[in-house]
Amino acid sequence: MERIIKISLALIIIVFAGIRCADYPIDEDGLLITERAECYVSNFELLGPDFQTVRTKAAVIDTTAQTINVEVFWGTDLKRLWPQFSLVTDAKLDPKITTWVDFSNLTTPKQWTVIAGNRKVQKTYTVYVTVQTKP
Amino acid sequence: MQRKYSNLIWVMAFVMLFVACQEDEYALPEAKTQLQNDCIKRSIGPNVAGLDIEFVYAAALGFGKGKLTNMQVEATIAGAAGTFMEHHSFYTLPNGKDTGIVVASPSVTVGGKTEVTFTRDTVAAALRYYYKIPEDARGKSVSFTFSAKASTGETVTYKMGPYTIANMEMKRNIVLSDNNLAYFSIADMTAYNAADAAANAGKIDLVYLYRAITGITFNHALVAPAADADFRPGITLPAGVSNNVKIQRTWALRDRHLANLQYGIYVDDIDFQELNLSDAPNWAINLRAESGAWVETADGKYRAYIYVNSVNNTARTMTISIKRYTVK
Repeated sequence: MERIIKISLALIIIVFAGIRCADYPIDEDGLLITERAECYVSNFELLGPDFQTVRTKAAVIDTTAQTINVEVFWGTDLKRLWPQFSLVTDAKLDPKITTWVDFSNLTTPKQWTVIAGNRKVQKTYTVYVTVQTKP
Repeated sequence: MQRKYSNLIWVMAFVMLFVACQEDEYALPEAKTQLQNDCIKRSIGPNVAGLDIEFVYAAALGFGKGKLTNMQVEATIAGAAGTFMEHHSFYTLPNGKDTGIVVASPSVTVGGKTEVTFTRDTVAAALRYYYKIPEDARGKSVSFTFSAKASTGETVTYKMGPYTIANMEMKRNIVLSDNNLAYFSIADMTAYNAADAAANAGKIDLVYLYRAITGITFNHALVAPAADADFRPGITLPAGVSNNVKIQRTWALRDRHLANLQYGIYVDDIDFQELNLSDAPNWAINLRAESGAWVETADGKYRAYIYVNSVNNTARTMTISIKRYTVK
């Protein structure tokens, strides 16, 4: 009886040791640094002060040219918009978006850098905002 | 080995037997027979002048010990006309409808004191008290002392408060129309036509218009007279109307007071105190029913929240309700 218990315990320990979590390092934001090298924006949203979208249609994301083109409704207040990026798994954005962003200077588009999960690949995306034209 | 486990189980069974719970015998609790009272505040949200603060005050004494003779409430600031205490005691029908039974004579209010005298033999009653918040209570605190007397000579009291009365003012269901009452004054909380707007030019803060423009989404809009002419197409402003305001559109901020007792959000003084419209534009287009807009007048005297109750594309009208806070 005692021998069976001892063998069972030993087996459990061996199984747990085999399936333990890989010990990934953590970056300065407390996020796991993984092995993923993918680095791109998968979706982009732009919200107005009322937290409703100001896009007239889906933003066009070019992952090769690293650009995002978005058209906003005529009459949108460009000084107070909140961009939202959806990124590939494990990637992060720099600088972080923690408040409203002023897009009113259309000739100087805003830029954000996507950093891959392995923190070794970085791609800078430029966001071009255009305003719907009034007929 | 097996014998060892067997002994252990026997020992544990004996221990459990000795420490088992003892069954207490239940006795019906005895009701108190002396006069006692309780009170709850039924109304919630900020206390705004012109609205009610509603309470339910209950008093009871043991059956056969006597009867209630009167109930009274004393407010530290006298309520406005319409302050009263119910002389009905309510019970609820199976369909959920409150049904009242007359137990006292209608309440009499003198100054801050409201009193009812019981006309039926009553040993227990819960009466509602409606305190109409007076204008002179704005920005102050008000407290209430409820009391009940019984034929036994006993008296009980219950204190409620203090409750802070909001500084903000409120006006509901103001109709704006594209072809007539299109000029709105935050100072007066009133809509004017072009002729009256010219006579009150310095007070006009917003212009209402409805435009169905193909290719863009304009619809119902509130814009400052000083806004770019692109935002008020086809409008020639009355002479002297030139104020600028900051206005920021909002969504899903359906204030319960302004939305005629729908929804459960309240705009309160603190929202106006912490409002920052420094970067806000001077126009708000595509306003829909149940949307709203924060506004600050050019002189910084008033901040306001305008709630859109309804819009009508055919009649080209918009019904709004407003809460206004005086900053300076």
